[in-house]
Amino acid sequence: MNCKDCTERMAELADGKLDEKAAALVRGHIEGCADCSREFGGLRATLEALDRLPADAPSHALRAKVMGHIESEKLTLGKEAAWASSLRSARWRQPARRPSWVPALLGALGACALLVLGFVLGERNATQRQLADLRVRVDTMGQLVEQSVLQKRATGDRLETVLTAARTTKPDDRVIDGLINSLAFDPSVNVRLNALSGLYSHADQEVVRAGVLACLPRESNPMVQVSMIDFLVAAKARESSPELRKLSLDDKADADVRDSARRAIDLL
Amino acid sequence: MLAVRDGDIDCMGELFERHHGPLYGYLSKLTGNRAAAEDISQIVFQRMLKYRHTYRDEGKFTSWMYHLARRCASDHFRKSGSAPVSVDPSDLDDRPDEARGADQSAVARDDHALLQKALGRLDRDDREVLLLSRLQELSFTEVAAILECSVGAARVRAHRALATLRDLYFQIQKENIT
Repeated sequence: MNCKDCTERMAELADGKLDEKAAALVRGHIEGCADCSREFGGLRATLEALDRLPADAPSHALRAKVMGHIESEKLTLGKEAAWASSLRSARWRQPARRPSWVPALLGALGACALLVLGFVLGERNATQRQLADLRVRVDTMGQLVEQSVLQKRATGDRLETVLTAARTTKPDDRVIDGLINSLAFDPSVNVRLNALSGLYSHADQEVVRAGVLACLPRESNPMVQVSMIDFLVAAKARESSPELRKLSLDDKADADVRDSARRAIDLL
Repeated sequence: MLAVRDGDIDCMGELFERHHGPLYGYLSKLTGNRAAAEDISQIVFQRMLKYRHTYRDEGKFTSWMYHLARRCASDHFRKSGSAPVSVDPSDLDDRPDEARGADQSAVARDDHALLQKALGRLDRDDREVLLLSRLQELSFTEVAAILECSVGAARVRAHRALATLRDLYFQIQKENIT
């Protein structure tokens, strides 16, 4: 065997991929040739360095996005009838969900009735300002109803609404309330995660931090729980320490969630 | 994956848990960019769902996954029009590490950074075959299926790539010393 043949096969030798006979031939040449021996040493060192390269770990965001996509796919397919059924019963068990749509509708109807009544009774001395106020009330109530009706819409529509709300550069209290509401009650993990993501830019507001903290104990999905914990850490919400401590000791909680809670306590 | 193909979408979550780490590791080293690796990993899983009907019970699931990953990575490189970003070792050690064994850790980090840089300088095809055959511990039969070439060709390419990596690795070491 000459140096050229040896060089061509030494990578296979270093990789342990040569059969015994061929390996003995190449090894024999290497032992008697200083140049090839040096080349082979370098190859082995490279392979060892390659094997020592640490494995990078992705962020939690990847899990959140993929799981959200899986969830959306399930809903789109509509093949999860049992899931939908359990979802309906879970929503029924959440009393805070029901009031958001009924009072809003009643309020809107009341405001409309008031507006109409104003005309019917001929209160012609009502000032332009009073009428404008009434219109604003009707408009606001209408938006509330619209938002509540959205809860009944398809996941894709709700997701779009949340994404639009999250992109709003100067959101009012209503938008922020809507995002917190979605985080608390929306049945889709994807929608809840995007609502949380939309709240990041308002983490300096006490009401937002309190809202996320209030949502944490009622959240059952580990992925969303970990994302909420990350949010509270990013928002430096020290007031969340007791809740995090409770979560870190909860045997029923997912191991990742307990770890995240423990890390968050240390960081806060 | 057969269960996913047959409509049990929940099994996709299990596949994600089992395979996303190695897949991300592969893409991270292939692109030299963590954010891009996350984006591509996400696209790979989305495509698995989208094209689940095309999955055939032939060969291993990982071969199919890396086959998709390879295509997604190609799309990424085509769109970004950029070669992978190699790591500059000087960027990694801004702050001294005062922990116990810091010297050894620093040497190891430098060594990793040198190798990452050498990997970054490899042709994408060479890097791809090397990562698949060595770091993902796939057989040459599987690598050949992913790269759509013969087993012999995959073997030759992997070993040539390894030899090229060695040359680059020692060349960069010399550059750093001088």
